[in-house]
Amino acid sequence: MFTKILTRNFDQPDLHEMEVYEKLGGYRMIRQALRRHTPEEIVQMVQRSGLRGRGGAGFPTGIKWGFIPRNSDKPTYLCVNADESEPGTFKDRHIILHDPHQLLEGIMVSAYAIQSRRAFIYIRGEMAREAAILNDAIAQAEKKNYLGHRIFGEDFDLQIQVVRGAGAYICGEETGLLESIEGKRGQPRTKPPFPAVCGLYGCPTIINNVETLINVPHIVANGPEWFAAIGKDPRNTGPKLYGVSGQVKRPGVYEFDMTITLKELIYDVCGGLTENRALKGVIPGGSSVPILLPEEIDVAMDFDSLAARGTMLGSAGVVVIGEGTCMVRVARRVAQFYAFESCGQCPPCREGTAWLHKILQRIESGGGHPGELDLLAEICDNMKSHTICPLSDAAAMPIESYIRKYRAEFEEHLSRPGCACS
Amino acid sequence: MSKVNLKINGKTVQAPAGSTILEAARLAEVDIPVLCHHPKLANLGSCRICLVEIARQPNLHPACTYPVFEGMEVQTESPRVVEMRKFVLDMLFSERNHHCMYCEMSGDCELQNLAYRYRMDRWSFPSPHPHMPVDATRKYFLLDHSRCILCRRCLRACSDLAANHTLGVKNRGADTMICADMDLSFGESSCVSCGTCLEVCPTGALVDRRSAYMGRTAEVQRVRSSCAACSLGCGVELVVRGGQVLRVESDWDRHNEGVLCVAGRFEPLEQTREKITRPLVRRDGQLQEATWVEALDALVSGLRQAAPGGIRAVTSGAVLSEGMNEFVNFFKGKMGVPVHLLEPALAGSELAADGGLKDVDAADFILVAGGDPLASHRVLGYRIKRAIDKGAEVWLVSGKETEMAHFAARCLGLAELDSAVAHCMESRSPVVVYGADLTAREAGRLARLRGKARFIPLAPSPNGHRAQVLGLEPAAGWAGAKALFVLLESALLQEGWLQEFRRPQFLAVYASCRSPLTDQADVVLPALQWYERQGTFINMEGRNVDVHQAVEPGGEGWSVQKLFDRLSGCMT
Repeated sequence: MFTKILTRNFDQPDLHEMEVYEKLGGYRMIRQALRRHTPEEIVQMVQRSGLRGRGGAGFPTGIKWGFIPRNSDKPTYLCVNADESEPGTFKDRHIILHDPHQLLEGIMVSAYAIQSRRAFIYIRGEMAREAAILNDAIAQAEKKNYLGHRIFGEDFDLQIQVVRGAGAYICGEETGLLESIEGKRGQPRTKPPFPAVCGLYGCPTIINNVETLINVPHIVANGPEWFAAIGKDPRNTGPKLYGVSGQVKRPGVYEFDMTITLKELIYDVCGGLTENRALKGVIPGGSSVPILLPEEIDVAMDFDSLAARGTMLGSAGVVVIGEGTCMVRVARRVAQFYAFESCGQCPPCREGTAWLHKILQRIESGGGHPGELDLLAEICDNMKSHTICPLSDAAAMPIESYIRKYRAEFEEHLSRPGCACS
Repeated sequence: MSKVNLKINGKTVQAPAGSTILEAARLAEVDIPVLCHHPKLANLGSCRICLVEIARQPNLHPACTYPVFEGMEVQTESPRVVEMRKFVLDMLFSERNHHCMYCEMSGDCELQNLAYRYRMDRWSFPSPHPHMPVDATRKYFLLDHSRCILCRRCLRACSDLAANHTLGVKNRGADTMICADMDLSFGESSCVSCGTCLEVCPTGALVDRRSAYMGRTAEVQRVRSSCAACSLGCGVELVVRGGQVLRVESDWDRHNEGVLCVAGRFEPLEQTREKITRPLVRRDGQLQEATWVEALDALVSGLRQAAPGGIRAVTSGAVLSEGMNEFVNFFKGKMGVPVHLLEPALAGSELAADGGLKDVDAADFILVAGGDPLASHRVLGYRIKRAIDKGAEVWLVSGKETEMAHFAARCLGLAELDSAVAHCMESRSPVVVYGADLTAREAGRLARLRGKARFIPLAPSPNGHRAQVLGLEPAAGWAGAKALFVLLESALLQEGWLQEFRRPQFLAVYASCRSPLTDQADVVLPALQWYERQGTFINMEGRNVDVHQAVEPGGEGWSVQKLFDRLSGCMT
């Protein structure tokens, strides 16, 4: 039986108030970290815990922190990725909305670990309320000198600044995010150099997702072995938040260890599909990952099990699609999103996303030509891993999977106008 | 510097550590295609045409940004790479209106050349023929969005080289467009018409209006020369076809590093003045065409009537050194006549001219005193703005309103010069740029900085330095002159000069174009046009720079040397 860790206090009223958070044990873990551990020890603890980034790529957090060059004469920055613009994803927003101090504590411990005195929370522009909550929480913390000079009376300074985005999906990509914080047009940078070496304002920078960071204090407080024991698989450790949406009876954010299966999540946790309709497909990790068919959902919701099924855990934004939904329409809508959000630097993405949208729009409206499904597949294939950032892959992978898995439906759209689904 | 060993297409190469694959490939003489890369611009890595395959790496990587490592094995034309390049080209050709035969750049276009190299024989995707705007609001060039491939070279040239930051991009995805300022038309924008963007554009998106459709690379000649619009002496290449200068481009290997200004690139070819191609002699009160023999006769007799003591000679500081030497030799040396300079001279001859554009790049503090480089020596002005972008501090000391004031950290009056000098003393690698508005006293105060700062003079005339070396000074007046010889060439007369000018009994002018001065003359001697002359001048760095003849003289103009050679013969 899994006991909630990250979201355990989310039902408490006024949790965003400092007194409530502290009464529930808040800001104890940062004190413990500052007094008992060296930064290096915390980095090692996070490495041993097996914590993997919760933003989408699942890169081991401790290893990422280890990329920061030692003895650099430049300051190190911590950027918190709260852009969360992947369609179907809303877990970070949930965390900030309910428990902003937990995020601040996570930032404090992590910033101490990487010896950063300046952290930026880059929050999606649309999340105005959440930005206000964070700013309020920061003001509360500053008042008590939990932020600022010599925080908690220890030899560590930290400032946290909230930076609001202006509504571009691409600013969730870590180097696009850096450009945006610097006040430039949000578009990804070519790597190498990687941000850990040359990031914000040319300084060593770590970019971590909101959910990733709130795990860190728990690892420090309970030890990496405790964390690594959560779940069965040593490569998929710790608690995980899943955001379930679409045609399910009880959509929402749920916390489990990564042994839970997609099937359990949909049917046991969320109560199955609305109007008890049949399942047609599930997007398990946000709109940019390949779709799973109903027969493929008995799979553990972890990074590697989903990869073995040809998809990804991604941002763990589960989108449930029931019978009666037109997959051509889903494909067109997803393609439209990426065509709109491509930053426009790399031709394969700039034009590839536009062509995917154009062709799918034509097919949806009954104007498609035979052979265009192969053309779509060819475009998708050429769009993958040929661009500065993974947006192009994110646009191509789902479309490719829809066509492969629902080919008959696409062909039917080609053979006659109108849609049999609706 | 440590070296790295790698293999490119099986060929062993040794490249300096830190080089990119592209740089290593150039050492190995392997040609990797590029579109967004330009050797003088920061790498972006966005066009994806230079993607190459690296052994044991799952993804392709851009050669222009990826650093080499020991033991690296690179394939630049593998089937996978070629397929990718064809896809990128397909995408680019499907995006706007690349109808090559209607394009000015056809034959010289980097996109077209790549399509040829990768054997594109058809459109894989139907070109949607979108209606793309053409921005023709600029006088000298236009921006045709139909041909734009969004490589952002223009934008980087505008920001990184000219430091003007006019060009940017708007919108996202396939709607991305190059735009000026906050989406203004080019004409209304902050563009200064330096034209650097034109030179880096790989396609026909940015086109020089004057020379469009007048010759492809294979059909023109290029003559390396120096711009004589001001004392910077920027490196230029004159693009010539059929005895005509089509346009001026920059010499990327010279100190101006590819940047020119409107006065050097476009205005010289906007010649609205009437050219003087034959000698003119005043007869019955009218200037009439004459032969050189008649003109020399009239000149000799005019000078003889005034001699001795009544002759004055004046030269423009725009005249090349060889001509100026000859002029001074003749009048001062042979005739004992004082020779003056037409333009004002710079005060502070005790200040060195030991600074160059490289010093501006390296400066942490730049003091601009008594002048506005953005008005008189624009490329230097751009370079100062570039230094500001990189963190240099600029103080302006001036009694006038200047363009430079918008970019200076502090603007002081001339009375506050001493505080700027004091600040300069405290900086690490200061540069002092001083202009003609300084009095001798003020220039004297700057002299304290000798040894500490590098000095760059804003000489009011291109070859003012040579005039200074020859000891020429501006004339106080023409009182007492019975005969006056003006060596004007193509120089423009300063405003107000003519108002104060009192015509002597006899006036001879050597000029390439008609002006109010030549209209008053008794003898007008045709000079070579600026692109017909050959010689050197001393630029602001104190260095001799070459001016090369680009075109055979079209009229009967003589060089200054030839004129005074013949005149010497007549006078003896």
